[in-house]
Parts: sequence; structure tokens; C-alpha cells
Amino acid sequence: MRFIRSAASRVIGLFVADWIQTAVILVIVAAAWYAISGLRAAPVPVLVGLVVLLAAQHIWFALSEARRDARSTPLPSPSPR
Amino acid sequence: MGQQLFTFGAAFLGSAVESVEALTIVLAVGLTRGWRAPLYGTVAALVSLAVLVVVFGQLIVERVPESTLKLVIGTLLLLFGLRWLHKAVLRSAGVVAMHDEEHAYRQTVSQLEGATERHDWVGFVIAFKGVFLEGIEVVFIVVAVGGTSKYFPEAVAGGILAMLVVAAIGVVVRKPLARVPENTLKYAVGIILTSLGTFWAAEGMGASWPFDFVSIFFLVAAYLAASQLAVQLVRRPALA
Repeated sequence: MRFIRSAASRVIGLFVADWIQTAVILVIVAAAWYAISGLRAAPVPVLVGLVVLLAAQHIWFALSEARRDARSTPLPSPSPR
Repeated sequence: MGQQLFTFGAAFLGSAVESVEALTIVLAVGLTRGWRAPLYGTVAALVSLAVLVVVFGQLIVERVPESTLKLVIGTLLLLFGLRWLHKAVLRSAGVVAMHDEEHAYRQTVSQLEGATERHDWVGFVIAFKGVFLEGIEVVFIVVAVGGTSKYFPEAVAGGILAMLVVAAIGVVVRKPLARVPENTLKYAVGIILTSLGTFWAAEGMGASWPFDFVSIFFLVAAYLAASQLAVQLVRRPALA
């Protein structure tokens, strides 16, 4: 049972590290899909927007995790003078 | 030809990274508790993984409509690649510790030290679990990369060759492959998989890329630039 749980969490972990980031990526992809299939928008600007947004969220989430990590790491004690 | 090579290369590199991690576990079990049980465990895991590849590979290639397949697998590949890329960026910037095969090896050895029985179930289960769980990622990479590009045999060949090469090196050196630049490989594979995922997801939406498959190289360049920018931005506040 533990093995199955571990395998299942491993499979989910393949795609999800941070649920919020995963949701943001899915929203970006869904928006591009809607623009192309639903609104029949010209594909090239949509594709450029898709890549720019995916790259931007990648930078944003890396920065926010680094900030979270910096806040949770205690500052070094001041050296004696 | 270019797409075939790209598919083979992506499957090979992705599988090699995961095979190195599986090898570390098998070596740790084999060198501390004897080789029979971990080898049986490894073979059992490889057979289970091969069944998964054949079943899911055939099912996906034959049953799922092409556009749905590209959209779903492309999106999953995008999530998978961005997760690797995210971790690689944080490691490159020094926020997260580099993956250390020596450390992983020592940890497994310390868990396993003790008397062994005639039928070493612990050795079998740990090797099986290690190879199977690391192998799930190999299966996903092979099925996703091969299934969507219609070059399934090339992807399977890339995955198998990677496992064979890593296993052969493991047999020769008999210690964890600590010198393999695993984090750099994960960074590169993260960029390749993210680019392939974007390419296929967009094709699944019904869009055609300018310059067709060649546009993947533009995607690689864009994600490489974004991740390098992320590394620079993450490093700066850490130093301040």
C-alpha cells in the first residue's frame, strides 16, 4: 500500500511541484487554446504571447521561491568586533 | 531526419539522468547486501516498466486522436519540463543544493547496513522500488516524446540505449556516477522538454508554427534566455 501511495505521489510529482504555478500554466495554455480554437485569432501573435507568458511565469515563480527561501533562512549572527 | 534525431536525443538525455539515479540505488544495495536480490529487483522493475511503455505507448498512439494527443501530452510535457527547469534554475542560482549522487549513495548504504538473510527481500524491494520509481519518469519521457512525434521506436531506442550506457558504466566503475553533470543535464533536458511541450500543445490547439519543426530551436533559445535571466535575478537578491 505504501509503495502504491509512493508511486502515485511520484506520478503527480512529475507534473506538479507547486499547485499555484501548475494552475497558472494551465490557465495560460487554456487561454491560448481558446484564442486559437474559439476566437479564431491569428495564430502567430497567440503563439508569441503563449511563449512570453510561459517564460514570464517561469521567472516569476523562480524569484518568488527564492524570496520565500531567503525569508525562511535565518540571518547569520553578527560577527564579534 | 532532424525531428527523428531530436526525439531520440530528448529521450536519451532524459532517460540517462533518471538512470543515473536508479543506478546509485542499485549499487548501494548490491555493494552492501550482495548482488542477487537487487539484480532480481532491477529486472522485475525493468519488465514492469517495459509493460507500461508497450501498453500506454500502443494505447496512446492507436486510440487517441492526434490533436487531442498533442494538446494533452504537450501540456503534460510542458508541466514536466518546466518543473525540471524551475529546479535547475534554483540549483544554478544556489538557492537549492545541487543533487549529490555520493550523498544519495551514502544515505542508502547507511539504511541498508546489517545482516542479510538467504532470501534478501529488503534488497529486492529497495532495488525494485528505486528502479521502478525512477523509471516512471523514463516511461513518461519516452511515451510523451515518441507518442506525439510519431517517432515512437526512436524514443524507445533512446531510452533503452541510455539505460544500457549508464548500466555499463556502473558495471565498470562500481561506484555512483558522481561526475556526471546531472544538474546541467536536467537543465538541458528541462529546456528541451518545455520546448517540445509548447510546440505540441500549440499544434494540438490547431496552430501551425512558422518554419514548422525548426521553430523548436527558437523555443529552446527563448526558454534558455528566460531561465538564464531567472538565474541572474535570483542570484542578485541572494548576494545583496
